[in-house]
Amino acid sequence: MAEISFHNVTKRYGQTVAVDNASFTVADNEFFCLFGPPLSGKTTMLRLILGLERPDEGEILIDGRRVNEVSPARRNIAMVFQNLALFPHMTAEQNVRFPLVERGEAEAVIGARLKDAAAKLHIGHVLHKMPAQLSGGERQRVAIARALVRDPVAFLMDDPISALDARLREETRVELKRIQREAGRTLIYVTHDQEEAMSVADRMAILERGAIRQIGRPVDIYDHPASAYVAQLLGAPAMNILPVAMVQGGGGVIRLEGLAPAGTAEIGIRPEDIRVGAHDGHGAVAKVWEVEPLGGTTVVTLDVGGRMLRALMRGQPDIRVATAVTLSVDLGRAHFFGAGGQALRRA
Amino acid sequence: MTAIRLENLVKRFGGFTALKSMDLSIGDGEFMALLGPSGCGKSTTMNMIAGMEEPSEGRILFGDRDMAGVAMGRRGVGFVFQNYAIFTHMTVRQNLDYGLRMARSPKAEIARRTAAIADLLQLGDLLDRPASGLSVNILQRVAIGRSAMMEPAIFLLDEPLSNVDAAFRAVMRTELKHIQREFRQTMVYVTHDQLEAMTMADRIAVMDHGVLQQVGTPLEVYNNPANVFVARFIGAPGMNLLAGVPVEGAEGLRIDLGALGRSAVLDAPLAAAARRAKGGVQFGFRPEQVDLVAAGAGLGMTVGFVERIGARTIVHLERDGITAKAVFDNDTRVLVGDLVHLAPHPGALRLFDAATGAALREV
Amino acid sequence: MTSAEISKDMPARPAAREADEGARLGLRLTLPAQLLVLFISVFPLLMQLYISLTDWSPLSGLGWPRAYELWNGFANYVDVAGDGRLWSALGRTALVMVVCVPVEFLLGLALATLFADSFPGKRVFYSILIMPMMVVPAVAGYMFYMLFQSGGPVNDILSSLLGMPVTVAWLSDPMLAMLAVMVADIWQWTPLMFLILLAGLVGVPEDQMKAATLLGASPWQKFRTIVLPRMKTIIIIALAIRVIECFKIFDTLFIMTGGGPGVATETISVYIYKITTQDLIWGYVAAIALVILLVLSVACVWAIKRMARKERAA
Repeated sequence: MAEISFHNVTKRYGQTVAVDNASFTVADNEFFCLFGPPLSGKTTMLRLILGLERPDEGEILIDGRRVNEVSPARRNIAMVFQNLALFPHMTAEQNVRFPLVERGEAEAVIGARLKDAAAKLHIGHVLHKMPAQLSGGERQRVAIARALVRDPVAFLMDDPISALDARLREETRVELKRIQREAGRTLIYVTHDQEEAMSVADRMAILERGAIRQIGRPVDIYDHPASAYVAQLLGAPAMNILPVAMVQGGGGVIRLEGLAPAGTAEIGIRPEDIRVGAHDGHGAVAKVWEVEPLGGTTVVTLDVGGRMLRALMRGQPDIRVATAVTLSVDLGRAHFFGAGGQALRRA
Repeated sequence: MTAIRLENLVKRFGGFTALKSMDLSIGDGEFMALLGPSGCGKSTTMNMIAGMEEPSEGRILFGDRDMAGVAMGRRGVGFVFQNYAIFTHMTVRQNLDYGLRMARSPKAEIARRTAAIADLLQLGDLLDRPASGLSVNILQRVAIGRSAMMEPAIFLLDEPLSNVDAAFRAVMRTELKHIQREFRQTMVYVTHDQLEAMTMADRIAVMDHGVLQQVGTPLEVYNNPANVFVARFIGAPGMNLLAGVPVEGAEGLRIDLGALGRSAVLDAPLAAAARRAKGGVQFGFRPEQVDLVAAGAGLGMTVGFVERIGARTIVHLERDGITAKAVFDNDTRVLVGDLVHLAPHPGALRLFDAATGAALREV
Repeated sequence: MTSAEISKDMPARPAAREADEGARLGLRLTLPAQLLVLFISVFPLLMQLYISLTDWSPLSGLGWPRAYELWNGFANYVDVAGDGRLWSALGRTALVMVVCVPVEFLLGLALATLFADSFPGKRVFYSILIMPMMVVPAVAGYMFYMLFQSGGPVNDILSSLLGMPVTVAWLSDPMLAMLAVMVADIWQWTPLMFLILLAGLVGVPEDQMKAATLLGASPWQKFRTIVLPRMKTIIIIALAIRVIECFKIFDTLFIMTGGGPGVATETISVYIYKITTQDLIWGYVAAIALVILLVLSVACVWAIKRMARKERAA
């Protein structure tokens, strides 16, 4: 159990700033997600927490204690790797016992810990199998169990499920969340899948080139992104960002009632906030460029004055490619961004 | 452009049957997805079409031509590998014109076609770059362009997006779909991701354990799955399937769902279908096609977990070991531990035979 | 989104810095061993250089540290330039190299290509194939000495093949003795070539081979355009190893022919052995050894540099 904090941590590699003055606190028992595009510093932050790297500036604290100079082994943090790294020549049980046997624990302790971990991770029935005989999800749980028996204060996971089949990923992420709750450990999780991040995280940090752009609950970040950059990272399809001239003023194609805040350069509209209707002579006219039916939802790509907008509609609306449609947007759900991309609030 | 016909195709590896009697027609210029979990036989099917594997039984026809005994280099098939198999010791241009160079085509012809393909795939500026160290979407275009240079009748794509970052997959999907439109080629696309199949394919062939489960347009397989496997595999999340028993009552037929109580009265065609079930049924409905209703109506379940993912909220429900999922808009407020009441949309109900798993269709 | 972003987000630089710190620690830990190795390799070299500038021999009655009393400057090196026997020994060594290395390479490559695919009994053939490498060179020499006797199996087989008695004195004829020596070398060292090339061949990505097939490339075209370019480095390594070893060819040959008849199969190593043990002119031997070392080193550095340049370009 541990609270992990960064205080103004900077890490450079030569000229490259991998982590740029980052500060955050991960609360005890929190499922915290580091999210950002590749090269945004997620993995470096994990390495800093693990102790594989030392910060050039700032402090890293575990439970309020400075650990900058503490070796990885003494931090007692467990890392679950992407490739899971189970020993292929050992059974699941031998894999889970391994760290305890290495540490020379008494057989009674090993047995108890094994039983406890197996119960928490629901792997009792596969303990006798070899890793090759396990499914992807089972292998995952065995790997976590092996980390859990060491009784670490926190878990770090670097994109642990990206190698799984799509369907299995959806199930495994829910499973991970349950495991984290039951194991009662702080979990810091790196992913580049926005859906996965929003699904599992209690809170998340959005990174850009080593700097933290926003921290908060996924829902809050989704609803109130601090910048156009953050807004476009979350949500599929991504938020539509339009120059303000397209929406208001003489050349405006989409009409919003009311005024945008002063200084607005761009307006962001989530695909699910665009209403598409049959062309009736009112509202903005768009041409349907592409219709992607996903069953429960339909993604419609619209050509609005030469610019592509994506709308996400519930169900299976009868919209045909190359027809004209009317679209409208509820201003209350639009986002406004200044010239630097920063979010502006409506007065 | 060529139609493909698979007739009674079987593939055995020693004692293991990877593909059990597959029949499938792929239309000229059609984008067909072979979709299924790993080990379902989709890659084996693709490899046989390409000529990398010989069928144990059955025939593969391109148009009217039987492909038996035709070597893989002679089938006129363009193949895009999962890892793209780009010749990294060559330049982009050398990759593109490889096939034509090997065929000793005239220099002018090679130059003309290279220019045309490079233009189409926006590779013009990259032609003389080494093929190593290019980004994955460029590699995909080089792989497609390299095959397209040979003007193949058929394109086969083996999970080309599975090594791609989640964030980047959407971009690649759109790109691939537009490339297919440009080429108007028959394309067979192998994937385990139902989202890729739904967004790109004209039709989807769903496979499991070496057996073709269903063929249809994305909406056909989504709306009317042929069996419980397809029902669960298509959709994110898949269809809810609850074990139930048909019960005749005064107002009509309902499904008894055990701890969840009874369903609403089924409409006449569905009731007729339910009556044909020998034993119990699987009561199916899409998580997206439910409404929350007042207590007393609908199926009462407890919220176990809530995933808020952008525009959608996936609610995991449970009652006495029975689980189901529901998908709502992101402004729906339900909390873990709440008791909620679900009513599937009347038209959204699907029934499956509990014993065979096959859909019970209205006749 | 562009190219670089696809790779994992491990920054590109940390390796350099880590490597730096690692290297410093590594140096401290290995320093004693390094000094020892340095002493072992550099000391004899310096000693040799010193002796090569004198007329010293073990019969001179002086300990080697006092060899300076027999100082003759560069006279030994002048002698090396004019030593006809040395240069013809060098020529014979080159001949062995020019004949054996290509033959071993082509045979090894053919075998490796064969063994890259699976076929029944592959493991057994594989074991048989690499056996010659395990035979002690002296034993191999003795084996071939027996085989090539005028009443030996080689002549027996030729007799039955040609249907008339063949009694060639293989090892007594200057030309044939050379041939016999080469056959022995090829027999013993083709397996090494095979092993190295097989390792390279197996490393050629299977998907790329399939892709080339699907693009209509013939087996020879695939070999030329995919396999060879990808194996370039390993081929250079294999050739370099065998070329260097050719300069060292000694044991098998010495047992088969003793360098004879006359000096017909006298290679550079055999020549040095003879003047060391028979003529005992060690100052001169040291000069020869240093000249050869210099020539080989220059050739190696050149080959490695070339290789590194190719690697960077790829």
